Amino acid sequence: MSNAYQVVGKRAPLVDSIDKVVGSARFGADIKLPGMLEGKILRSPHPHARIRYVDTAAAEALPGVLGVITAADTPMVRYGTIIPDQTILATDKVRYIGDEVAAVAAVDLETAEAALRLIKVDYELLPPVLDMEAAMRDDSLRVHNDVPNNIADHIHFERGDPDGGRRDAYACFTRRFTTPAVHQCYLEPNSCVATWSENGSLTLWAPNQGPFAARLVLARALVMPEDKIRFIQTFTGGAFGGKTWQQVWPITAVLARKAGRPVRIVLTRQEEFEATLPRVPMIIDLSMGVYRDGRLAFKETRIMSGNGAYSISAPAVHYVAATRYDSLYRLGNIRCTADLVYTNTVPTGMFRGFGNPQMHFAGESMMDMLAEAVGIDPVEIRRRNAALPGDTSAHGWYLGSCAVQETIEKAAEATDLVNRRRGGRPLADGKTFWGIGMASCIHVAGNRTIYKPYDGSNARVQVSGDGSVVVYSGEADLGQGCRTVFAQIAAEVLGVPMDAVTVAAADTDFSPFAIGTVASRVTTLGGLAVDLAAKDARDKILAAAAENWGVPAQALDMENGSVISRSHPERRLSFPVAAEIASDALGGKPVIGVGEYRTEGVVLPDPQTKYGNIAIAYSFGTQVAEVLVDTETGRVRVLRFVAAHDVGRAINPLGVEGQIEGGIAQGIGYALLEEIKMDRGRVLNPDFLDYRIPTSVDIPPIESILVEPDDPNGPFGAKSVGETAVVPTVAAVANAIYDAIGVRLTDLPMTPDRILAALREKRAGSQPSSSGA
Amino acid sequence: MKEITLNVNGENHRLEIEPHWTLLYVLREKLDLVGTKEGCNAGDCGACTVLIDGKAINSCLFLAVRSEGRRIVTIEGLAQNGKLHPVQQAFVDVGAVQCGFCTPGMVLRAVSLLAENPQPDATEIRQAISGNLCRCTGYVKIVQAIELAAQDVTTGSGVSDE
Repeated sequence: MSNAYQVVGKRAPLVDSIDKVVGSARFGADIKLPGMLEGKILRSPHPHARIRYVDTAAAEALPGVLGVITAADTPMVRYGTIIPDQTILATDKVRYIGDEVAAVAAVDLETAEAALRLIKVDYELLPPVLDMEAAMRDDSLRVHNDVPNNIADHIHFERGDPDGGRRDAYACFTRRFTTPAVHQCYLEPNSCVATWSENGSLTLWAPNQGPFAARLVLARALVMPEDKIRFIQTFTGGAFGGKTWQQVWPITAVLARKAGRPVRIVLTRQEEFEATLPRVPMIIDLSMGVYRDGRLAFKETRIMSGNGAYSISAPAVHYVAATRYDSLYRLGNIRCTADLVYTNTVPTGMFRGFGNPQMHFAGESMMDMLAEAVGIDPVEIRRRNAALPGDTSAHGWYLGSCAVQETIEKAAEATDLVNRRRGGRPLADGKTFWGIGMASCIHVAGNRTIYKPYDGSNARVQVSGDGSVVVYSGEADLGQGCRTVFAQIAAEVLGVPMDAVTVAAADTDFSPFAIGTVASRVTTLGGLAVDLAAKDARDKILAAAAENWGVPAQALDMENGSVISRSHPERRLSFPVAAEIASDALGGKPVIGVGEYRTEGVVLPDPQTKYGNIAIAYSFGTQVAEVLVDTETGRVRVLRFVAAHDVGRAINPLGVEGQIEGGIAQGIGYALLEEIKMDRGRVLNPDFLDYRIPTSVDIPPIESILVEPDDPNGPFGAKSVGETAVVPTVAAVANAIYDAIGVRLTDLPMTPDRILAALREKRAGSQPSSSGA
Repeated sequence: MKEITLNVNGENHRLEIEPHWTLLYVLREKLDLVGTKEGCNAGDCGACTVLIDGKAINSCLFLAVRSEGRRIVTIEGLAQNGKLHPVQQAFVDVGAVQCGFCTPGMVLRAVSLLAENPQPDATEIRQAISGNLCRCTGYVKIVQAIELAAQDVTTGSGVSDE
């Protein structure tokens, strides 16, 4: 698109990439303090058991051990990001294999591990609650004694007339789709370094997604004032939702207090798989129908979401699965019932897409089934139903910009999808089938429900007398590149080169308050705050220059980094000179621009009906997958991906492409490879050998098409892409497999075994067909 | 404890180590070279890749005692006189870096590949880095970066490997 900007819209390598290629970037486990001890966590080997006693005497007596903690050393209050159902260490019961029971700090890791083996825990075993449907029965044992039927959260809402829609539909289908727990598999394991000062204040270093949000929960868990806690963001080696909350933070804090020394805990990869917060698994019973002309008649959904043993952010994920997909299309008749269910398994949480990929897998598979039933192609059914700019969706979402139609058209055009569909014809070898499939998606840029008291972001832009610029934001860079986007925005507003701008790491002692990197909100909301702060700094510099020249401030403007007189453009001050004048006028201190952005037109949805506009902007996309399916082995090879995404204006197109490529790679893993396998509550594959994520040979060429409508609310018209990129991927692969071999896979991952089983069923004539006319 | 001398990034270090310590542990905890990352400690992810006599190995599986008398290069030793190695420069330029946690291992794996095969095609690159996991990039720009670095190395516009 045409771009009148100097920095915004240009391909910018990440501002911190040199630190990362030379190895000087300090991640969580790289932090070392003088006198620091190593900590280890004792975890439950049982999925469900009462703790009779914990005996730590032998561990404490081991030379080199400086601190052992159990629940008795913690405040023992219940806390949680949404539902207060956790404690720092298990008190009465353990609720999953991996539940934290005790922790040890010692002079080195080997001593800490030896001490763990000396802790005696007497457990009274209880039958584990493992199956979601059984857990919801009245006679089920409870994971939490105060939660009947193990239902952590229940959602029910209706829009329009779903029964009428079903009655009038020309074709409809009902299918059960299942999605497993999958792990974020950020390459950097979680870790924490904690130290206490004599006055009782706590400092923590940890990779995380938002130190202020983390501190809020930490303060509740530790029962101490928020401002006595300093949470410092280290370089963060990927997160994808998995580093918004981690039990290792409060455990390290309590352990450091007990030991009287700084403590570091670094989780092992096995602990990551067994005891961090994977994607919420779901069982989705979906009915959808269309009228004769292909317009959607209704959608009715019944969802069971696996909460695991504690809630963390799963209630919010569950809510997203229940609602978000519905605003992709002009769809009026909706009914949804959803339950979030406790079981004695690893607690689940957020993972890129936040419940949305699960529902899009079901919905976008269903769209292709409905298209076939009414005899139109997958492109046309999506075009006919797609939301349009200016729409208010069934859930009250106002789509200020919306180019989903254009993404559908561009992805279809780039792949010639309509003409190249095969419809289950083999290649020359008679056993390999090529197929192509499409899926579209909607996601948010921000989410009002994430932090109820406040929605917005804050930034400070500091301009020193030498013209150097520092941006302070509490939003977190996880590798996705928000520091770069913030530097671009500040550089654009001030007219300085990007290398004049530094973006400080987030630190609760110095950064302005921020909600953090969740809900694809940071470029949009964080960017708006940086934009306001940079404009405030610019205005202050202009005012000082105006006073210096003895003219009104309105007579001056900023152009390409210089202050100019509107009436006499030849009269100008370079940015450093103007900055020096402004700084001198302040007695030599830097100019501080303040940006406080609060969302407008966004509301907290009604707690019962879930109606309400939750974000200032919504992003969209359409992806097309091309696959080869070997019908002898059941193996699926992804050959190519084309992804057209409506991101608003791309502030950093290089970064947007990176997000799309990475999102699709994660989606391919989710579609074909990944599943946390469990047997009676035990994770069977807690390592990268048995839990396979895509390697370089699994990922095909990926072509990104950026569709850039100017969003009326976003900074420079920008929206979001980080999560959106993974939302439609699984469905695109499923639809391509269907095109190749004519079988509809409804369970993830779509493994060779499942492909072969579906082919056998098809040959036996038992693949279910349309229930409609 | 055993006393050994390790040659790391051109410098000799005299160290007392336990025979079961891995090279990764010694680099990170005894020499403070924390640019080498631990992602799995099982040889599955490649984040701990370093060069030993020019060849890429997983330092989490390599005992420190075996490293004596060999030339070890970690990510901290790759740039020369403040100038990035062409592979490092290419990773920056094409946007092959996101979170950066796999980057040191991935860069060194690529350096080792280009030393053996200065003109790899995309398939050879994908094969060569298949033991190094990346969860951020989908590998697309990493492959592009290595292709670009290969051009730079062969056209002599950058420094070559050692």
